[in-house]
Amino acid sequence: MPSAEQNPAPGTSVTGHSVDQDEDAVVIIGSGAGGGTLAYELTAKGIPVVVLEAGPYLTNDDYVNNEWEAFNQMAWLDPRTTSGSWRIARDFPNLPAWIVKAVGGTTTHWSGATPRFKEHEFKTRSVYGRVDDANLLDWPIGLEDLAPYYDRAEKAMGSTHVHGRPPLPANNNYKVLANGAERAGYRFYATGPYATNAEEYDGRPASIQDGFNFQGDKNRSKWSTLVREIPRAEQTGLLDLRPESQAVQITHDAQGRADAVLYLDKEGNLHRQAAKVVCVAANSIETPRLLLLSATPSFPDGLANSSGQVGRNYMRHLTGTVWGHFDKPVRMYRGETMAGLIGDESLHDPDRGFAGGYYLETIALGPAFMAAFVEPGAWGPDFTKLLDAYTNTAGMWIVGEDMPQETNRVTLNTTVKDLNGLPVPNVHYDDHPNDVAMREHAYAAGEKVYGAVGAQSTHRTPPYPATHNLGTARMSERQEDGVVDRWGRAHDVSNLFISDGSSFTSGAAANPTLTIVALAIRQAEYIAEELKAQRI
Amino acid sequence: MVFPAKYPSLNAMEMTDEARQTLIRVLRVAFPHESVPDGPYERTADTILTEAQNETWFRVALAQGLLSLNQLADGDFRTLDDESALKVLRRVEGTEFFGFVRRTAVLNLYDDAEVWEALGYQGPSFDQGGYIHRGFNDLDWLPEPRIEFPEGETLPAMAPGAGRVPRPVAEGRRRDSTNQPGATSSDMEEVKR
Repeated sequence: MPSAEQNPAPGTSVTGHSVDQDEDAVVIIGSGAGGGTLAYELTAKGIPVVVLEAGPYLTNDDYVNNEWEAFNQMAWLDPRTTSGSWRIARDFPNLPAWIVKAVGGTTTHWSGATPRFKEHEFKTRSVYGRVDDANLLDWPIGLEDLAPYYDRAEKAMGSTHVHGRPPLPANNNYKVLANGAERAGYRFYATGPYATNAEEYDGRPASIQDGFNFQGDKNRSKWSTLVREIPRAEQTGLLDLRPESQAVQITHDAQGRADAVLYLDKEGNLHRQAAKVVCVAANSIETPRLLLLSATPSFPDGLANSSGQVGRNYMRHLTGTVWGHFDKPVRMYRGETMAGLIGDESLHDPDRGFAGGYYLETIALGPAFMAAFVEPGAWGPDFTKLLDAYTNTAGMWIVGEDMPQETNRVTLNTTVKDLNGLPVPNVHYDDHPNDVAMREHAYAAGEKVYGAVGAQSTHRTPPYPATHNLGTARMSERQEDGVVDRWGRAHDVSNLFISDGSSFTSGAAANPTLTIVALAIRQAEYIAEELKAQRI
Repeated sequence: MVFPAKYPSLNAMEMTDEARQTLIRVLRVAFPHESVPDGPYERTADTILTEAQNETWFRVALAQGLLSLNQLADGDFRTLDDESALKVLRRVEGTEFFGFVRRTAVLNLYDDAEVWEALGYQGPSFDQGGYIHRGFNDLDWLPEPRIEFPEGETLPAMAPGAGRVPRPVAEGRRRDSTNQPGATSSDMEEVKR
């Protein structure tokens, strides 16, 4: 962590270690679940890395227990545009996604749910069959490839319920969800797996159930790369971390190999870091934006985009929220926000009228966010009734697989520029009929759960700006079907890797962070071997 | 009620106290909470007036909007009862004026400690040690649920029979288009009786 008196120059390292800008480095763009994990795993193997992080170095002391203040402190608020028939384009036209711009990336905002993908979810094309207008494709890897890395990721993140980690206790919101689940006939409900300490673990304390883990978690009980991977990478003495350094272009040499990353510091000065390997982990909107911004005569449609799939197949998970209003207090805001899930509907059962599955997970918002998101655009007595019921409200979030579609995509909007004059990303999304059918089913299931424990009314909230952004540089066996191979290595550029959720071939029902971390651990091993063998 | 729309002074246009009171009444009618005292509504109105001062377009929209409320009320909007006032607001809800007021109100009215208290929300908690000893699990009107999956059972993956759904007829054919990999030979669209 930087001390005040060091006060490094903009765009340079804040750790004790610094790499010369002309030295060909392993450059990682982003410090979240993918980039932060990769940085730790590589430095732990003795490989120095440069991490370019667009946002500032916030720490747990900086975080605040206030929804809007924290949002303005942490969120990626650079301008973006939206199009398509999704409701976000109407309700939050400039906020398609709710992700973090700071060291630790969106792991500082995530809640902590860590379900694994299931075996069939790596084979959606084979299992779901042909789904009109969906660009389904089997992953080039399966659960058997990822299972050992899931184990390692769960141990690193301290997931409850597995590897001897105890479960978190039931909080108020969970008590409603679990009792409702039991009475509605569900079996698979629990307070996790959830990557927040129920007891002291890995040098971090047990949860104090403060209810502010979306706001960064001041207590450090929640796993994030900010509290684990980044400091440990720093301890190796091999991490060069440059906050407020936003990558704007990856350049390449005459052979088509990436040779440098251009980035802007906080004062708008352009820097160039020479690179022998570039790993992009900038989340699924900025990652394709960066590749598209890196177009050259050799790569006219964007770097690593011979398939045309860069930016396409954008997935954001189904999502939706069901609120239940009771005649007795719930006080859902007390305790771990998402430590509770129902997994019975996460199976693939086409008899329900759609492919894929979904989880129901507890969620709580404070009145400030409740007002903004419960029914966007609404006002009047019907609206205020929803807030008057606040104390007696329980909440659950729907997390389900949405269909990859080629037309759901991130493109450059050349008519809108950001502060630096760069084209902003436009996010286009239309719900697939499969998504609509699943969301309807999930809303009804949620209402059944709350109805079973005496809800007097329920309310359906549409999707929030996306926290699960996936698929825009997907993995494929064949070069023409996707952007990267089974290791996340670009088909077209041999020393370019994608290290975040952009590489997901399909989204599965599970919250994605665990899988991003598992893939990054696996990718780090591969990169280390390739470097050692001098194949990159 | 707006001072005055003489052209050189448009930028110096000030809202009268009557305008402020009308705005407070608009907020009360649009966001009625019996339990919320006047303070938060007044603060929200002041926030709106401040934002209007900083943005010419909002200032113009707000001035025009408040004036038209009185026109629609055939007099003073503030004297209307709740039901009539609500009807007037419904008639202007599509306007720039009302959209600006609604957006600003939603963002500010509910980010107010007095409103939180009225709604039963306790605000920041970390400084007080979270809720670990302050009722994170004090709900007592339902039985204590189990917190782990049923022992020895794993999550279901595929429903019985889901594996036997009509697979793509030509599974294994690798030459289909990238966009629609797989067979289309089961397409019955053109079949006629």
